[in-house]
Amino acid sequence: MATSKPGSMSRALVRRETIAGYLFLLPSLLFFLVFVVYPMVMCVVTSLTNATMTASGTSDFVGLKNYIDLFQDETFLKALLNTVIIVVVSVPAVCVFSLWVGARIYNMKNWACSAFRVIFYLPVVTGSVAVTVVWKWIYHYYNGVLNYVGTNMGLWEKNINWLGNEKFALGCIILILFTTSVGQPIVLYVSALGNVDQTLVEAAQVDGATDMQVFWRVKWPQIMPTTLYILVITTINSFQCFALIQLLTSGGPNHATDTVMYYIYYSAFTLYKYGYANAMGVILALCIAALSAVQFRLAKSES
Amino acid sequence: MNTGVKRTSVYRTVTLVLIIMIAVVIFLFPLYWIVTGAFKTPAAVNSSSPEWWPKEWTMRNFDELLSKRSAPLWEFHVPGSEWFTSDNSQIVFFSGPVLPAAFRWLINTVFMSVAAMVLTCATASLAGYALAKKRFIGRAVLFSLIVCAMALPKQVILIPLLREMDGLHLTNTLWSVIYPVVGWPFGVFLMKQFAEGIPGEILEAARIDGGGELKTFTTVVFPMIKPGVGALAIFTFINTWNDYFMQLLMLTGTNVLSMPLGIAKMQGEFGQDYGLLMAGAALASVPIIIVFLVFQKYFTKGITMGAVKG
Amino acid sequence: MHNHIDNGWKSLYNLNKSLRERQARIIEFEEAMRMKTIRKALALVLALCIVLTLAACSTSGTNPNPTPDPTKEPPPAAQSESGNEPSGGGDGLTANLTLATYPVGLMTDEATVKALIADFNAVYPNVKIDVVYLDYANGDQTVNGMIESNNAPDLIFEGPERLVANWGAKGYLVDLKDLLVPGTYDVTSGSCTNAAGAMYELPVCQTAHCMGINKDLFTQANAMQYINEDTHTWKSTADFLKAVEAVAAIHPQVGVVFCGGQAGDQGNRALVTNMYGGQYTNAEFTRYTGNCAENVQALQALYDVNGIEFDPGIAGGDEIKLFCNGTLAMATCWNVGAAKSDTQGKTANFEIFPMAFPTESGDPVLQGGIWGFGIFNNGDDNRIEAAKAFAKFMTEDEAQYKKIVEATGYWATRDVSGLYEGDEIMTEYGKLVPFMGPYYQITLGWPEARTAWWNALQRIGNGGDVQTELDAFVAEANAAAEAAEAG
Repeated sequence: MATSKPGSMSRALVRRETIAGYLFLLPSLLFFLVFVVYPMVMCVVTSLTNATMTASGTSDFVGLKNYIDLFQDETFLKALLNTVIIVVVSVPAVCVFSLWVGARIYNMKNWACSAFRVIFYLPVVTGSVAVTVVWKWIYHYYNGVLNYVGTNMGLWEKNINWLGNEKFALGCIILILFTTSVGQPIVLYVSALGNVDQTLVEAAQVDGATDMQVFWRVKWPQIMPTTLYILVITTINSFQCFALIQLLTSGGPNHATDTVMYYIYYSAFTLYKYGYANAMGVILALCIAALSAVQFRLAKSES
Repeated sequence: MNTGVKRTSVYRTVTLVLIIMIAVVIFLFPLYWIVTGAFKTPAAVNSSSPEWWPKEWTMRNFDELLSKRSAPLWEFHVPGSEWFTSDNSQIVFFSGPVLPAAFRWLINTVFMSVAAMVLTCATASLAGYALAKKRFIGRAVLFSLIVCAMALPKQVILIPLLREMDGLHLTNTLWSVIYPVVGWPFGVFLMKQFAEGIPGEILEAARIDGGGELKTFTTVVFPMIKPGVGALAIFTFINTWNDYFMQLLMLTGTNVLSMPLGIAKMQGEFGQDYGLLMAGAALASVPIIIVFLVFQKYFTKGITMGAVKG
Repeated sequence: MHNHIDNGWKSLYNLNKSLRERQARIIEFEEAMRMKTIRKALALVLALCIVLTLAACSTSGTNPNPTPDPTKEPPPAAQSESGNEPSGGGDGLTANLTLATYPVGLMTDEATVKALIADFNAVYPNVKIDVVYLDYANGDQTVNGMIESNNAPDLIFEGPERLVANWGAKGYLVDLKDLLVPGTYDVTSGSCTNAAGAMYELPVCQTAHCMGINKDLFTQANAMQYINEDTHTWKSTADFLKAVEAVAAIHPQVGVVFCGGQAGDQGNRALVTNMYGGQYTNAEFTRYTGNCAENVQALQALYDVNGIEFDPGIAGGDEIKLFCNGTLAMATCWNVGAAKSDTQGKTANFEIFPMAFPTESGDPVLQGGIWGFGIFNNGDDNRIEAAKAFAKFMTEDEAQYKKIVEATGYWATRDVSGLYEGDEIMTEYGKLVPFMGPYYQITLGWPEARTAWWNALQRIGNGGDVQTELDAFVAEANAAAEAAEAG
């Protein structure tokens, strides 16, 4: 049946679809090609050179040298490890916490639900620079509020240099990242849960399902797309964590909080190693792309 | 039965209290500290023992913020004029009254966020629909390119981007921040996921009804992917609002700065003036918090990932 | 609402079964198409990439920054004309300039900067100057961004470590030797000149970075006995350490060796090198010698003494804050500007006493701060000429020069009569200015060396062996210096 009429009809349809498709794509494609793909290609090209900031603007082709150097650069490997730790800790934490809060507050009274949403969203809208300054003070070694509370309550004896101690610094950064990341997932979960098909929930309850069962069997599959979206944006945001590091620790102490993102910035704008920084960017982009793809596959196969 | 209900309610209260405590301490405190800090004297801001409530209220920080820089409230340029002037500057034909630059910075920040949001939503929903529902040559390749680029950190492409902006005569304009945001393909990706949920039958039906492609899009497709557009709009708005890094390198003149950047550029030689910083942050977050409060309802109704599942 | 749509879908679903079949056919067809076209599409993308690359190469070939040879002499007409006519006669010069200024004193204050520009415009009415205000946290990145987008400022106000060692060394700046006003101190003009003799900074003002101590606390701890109050010097390094111990007995946190970043690193560098007379670089400013025995001894002493901690959590600005709010009893990142600042020195509720760094010899070498104008070569002789006219206008005439020096709040770089007469703070801090030493921050590889330095301090603070860590610092810094020399 299907093969009997492959003639003009289908070909016309394909042509029509192609033209229409590209017309729909055109505005977006224009921006994408000019402001992302072109610089991206340039970035790959530059990563194969020893480009730096000079008045003459010339650079030599060095092949894969930058990439080879990268994997012998201890600071880079440390930064990569830190980046992975941040992602591995903060992504699940953000997802689980926001799901928990979302599930707790979505069926509250209107005003209460609104109030919670606003509270959790505040750090997002206040602006990262100002929030970071407050956190810097909270963590302050000499007169920060965390040490003030901790020593007074007897949780620890002496003031702890939170951001100056290799053991704690990364954790402190992750906590701030966490508070500035959960706002949006919570809002999303609240609306997703509010839009769950009530007839199915009621049917399950009539059948005698417990709250937990209703949640995992009925609601969870329905909010799966939201979860996927949250996973993707949180992963991207965690990978790109940069302002926090720059404003709080500059990657220290002793590279304990260096992330690839920060190291790229440092290599490019302090050391002017454009080629090297771009090579790092290519590696990072590949890592994120691979991870997004995996997440995507997993989530898709589950739903 | 009765005790079971009771236990659930006790459990609920406990978790509720727990949430409230976490929320207040971790989430509300920074804002509280920023707002009160905006009214503290330099000595109080700098004090070694925390001053939980300002002992002495001062407008000094706001005075600094409003007196140290000035800029016209708005400026309209002759479009394209930067291509004809000798130094690539734009010709201004209508500019507003010269006021403290903080107001201009606020307008700039709002403008960038709104423009990026509108452009992204418009282009991405069109493109997402095409990628999801149109069968055309090169579709698979394009989509993989988009997925790859979605994860690209902006820092990486910054230097080529800076050079490109010069070529396009966009240096030191708000568009140099807006366009790369619009180009970022995450929106297209998101919209594609949404548009995939639209059953082909509906589109076929619309086609048989004789609607043109664009009409099908506006009357059938767009209403169905609206929740996704809502999510994308918020995401883009907030991201542009907080995109400190991009603004830092793209914007330099006093007239084109954003709020956090403007305040950063007012900092003196000896460490940061936190009082000034907090006054600026307080001023900048007020409008966005109002927007959030007002549009909350739309957020809840609007954003849903699961609404359109075919 | 969604239910409504759902119902709509269901009815459509039933009505259009045939359409569904067609759709399936299209998808099938599309699968086949994809296999065939994927190669074509790939080729397309590749072609696109190549075209883009070519375009890119051609732009980099035409040089995004049309900076001619840095050694090229500036247009000779500029100097003689603008130089001979200090008042009036500037009508002929027409240009739009950008002045980028780091926050040196009031140079971040719009009213002050605009007043200076207004003075200039009274003589040169056709030179329009836009101001870009920079901050120390992100200023370098902003300027680098401006350079990369072919939009570098014409005039920039900063010190040698950025003008001479960075942008000047990279060939972006114009030699300003011809603008140097006679009578400028040799040590100052020397700091603004590179090894080849090109002056990339026209000096305007200078200061000596020093220490500040909490005199109330020191008096209370009976530690003022270790200090020569009239000269603001320590009696000896051993006395300095005794003083720290004495204060620590009543106030546990005396000072810090801050190493949370590069900001303010002149403070801890000066402290370490002064204590036993060590050096940070060689005399030619070509290699780093920070691992010398004197520095090792100094850092070990600082590590061992009670009351001083190595803190990787803070940088210079934080140290000043902690000093001003009374947490610390002394600051190593101090200078007169901080003392006069509303948000720093003025907030302190104790007497701040400026001090030179401790030495054995009694002859401290202070780190100087020297600020002045650099002029970017934007490939337009007219703009360079106008920018030079501005720099000359600000520095040549004594009355105008005094105005800009006062705006910065620091001292002049040549003898100027009547500056800061009767100003107590300036008189007191002025006693330290003669201790200013050579400006070694123009050594090649400085950015890497800086990072290596504070990383080494962090490791020492964590218990690392001083000699080993300083050796690592010097190795890294010298590697960078060699690389910079070769490149």
